[in-house]
Amino acid sequence: MYKKLLIFISTLLVANDTKEYGWDFYDGAVNIGGYLDMTYDEKREEKFLFNDIALLFSSSHKRFDILGEVELSHISLDGKSNNSSDVDLNLERLQLNYVLSDKQTLQVGRFKSDIGYWNQAPILILQNTTTKPHIVGNFFPEATTGLLYRYNLNDENSLSFTFQDNTDISHQESAINVSRHKGFAYYGTDDDLSWHFSVGEYREESSIEADYIGIGLKYDIDDFDIQAEYFVQDSEISEEKPFSAYVQPTWHFREKDDAVMRIESYRDSALGVKEEIYLFGYVHRPNRNMVLKGEYIYHTELPLNRFVYSFSVLF
Amino acid sequence: MVFAKELVVVGNITFPKQSLTLKEIKSIFLSKKRFISGDKVLVMNFEANTPLRRCFEKSILKKSQSSLERYWRKAYYQGKHPPKVVKSLEMLFSFLKKVNPSIGYIEAGDIEDKNISILYREECN
Repeated sequence: MYKKLLIFISTLLVANDTKEYGWDFYDGAVNIGGYLDMTYDEKREEKFLFNDIALLFSSSHKRFDILGEVELSHISLDGKSNNSSDVDLNLERLQLNYVLSDKQTLQVGRFKSDIGYWNQAPILILQNTTTKPHIVGNFFPEATTGLLYRYNLNDENSLSFTFQDNTDISHQESAINVSRHKGFAYYGTDDDLSWHFSVGEYREESSIEADYIGIGLKYDIDDFDIQAEYFVQDSEISEEKPFSAYVQPTWHFREKDDAVMRIESYRDSALGVKEEIYLFGYVHRPNRNMVLKGEYIYHTELPLNRFVYSFSVLF
Repeated sequence: MVFAKELVVVGNITFPKQSLTLKEIKSIFLSKKRFISGDKVLVMNFEANTPLRRCFEKSILKKSQSSLERYWRKAYYQGKHPPKVVKSLEMLFSFLKKVNPSIGYIEAGDIEDKNISILYREECN
């Protein structure tokens, strides 16, 4: 199986300096593409993993868009979990968008929750770091199976309302699996500055209910960007996660190279942890479809100081 | 290389608007605005690294190439697609003739007596 994967990757490396993403069919009405990620994490049991190999498909008509993402994950390259039973096939997204007008969109299916910056760009090729901040996966459901209504007040400001009152259509295990989710998000931009405000409540499949609220701020110019987010959560069983926050500046110091830093602080009452995390990373993009990343993560409390590396391709 | 010419944003002859603002053009070319008078608009771009496209990105979109690459990677994942790439002026004029509404851009010197609507003019910096 690994030989086939290596052949597949080699093909991408040779063929993928394409000008656009994916392949168009039926005169551009259908597009099929995908992405893959490999990571090396020295603290993980399976150090070298194919995290994801995913297929993306989309179809756009006058008012309807269909978007799907199917993911094959957890393929170990250490030979420690090379049975097919260890490999997951997940339905990451399957959504139908009805674009009522440039102002209003109705979305139904399984989609990334419209909460926070990381859920807007949840795959490694779109991110400047291999690891994600503590906020992601701990404060709000990453995916929603339900309905989303988006209203663009104008080109700079938009509101979205998320509703879920059913079980998840994917069997994928994540930190927060929900059977109900109600969320509201506001995103605003003013030239190079953007911000968001998010609030919501959810019920986990274990029946635990929680509320969350968060804000974010981002400044993005050609050579530099910085983003920061702050979330709090209140769970009915205890105040487990009083807060989590980070600031992440990225310097695009050469056309293909970035330097990134992240400073985080969070408290987790359930784990009895209050700590800071510092990250220093380097990003190299040999072409527009590919990215290599290396980072060092320093934890002030937990024994998780380590180097992490990744390689990602969008095809 | 300096491309000291005038760029003209053009639409098909029956384009539903007489002119567009810079903000509207940015929204259309970044896939934020999909409809013109209720119809889905066909948006056309030239191949990457052509002097005219560089001028368009710098003077109209006001973004660097790497910044636009970051934008389109994310937009592609969200199901948005960049403008249709045309390889020649002839191809652009052919789509402008057939599709309503459709939009692209050319050098001012290429307008000649073509049946097109002129929507915006900008000097290349």
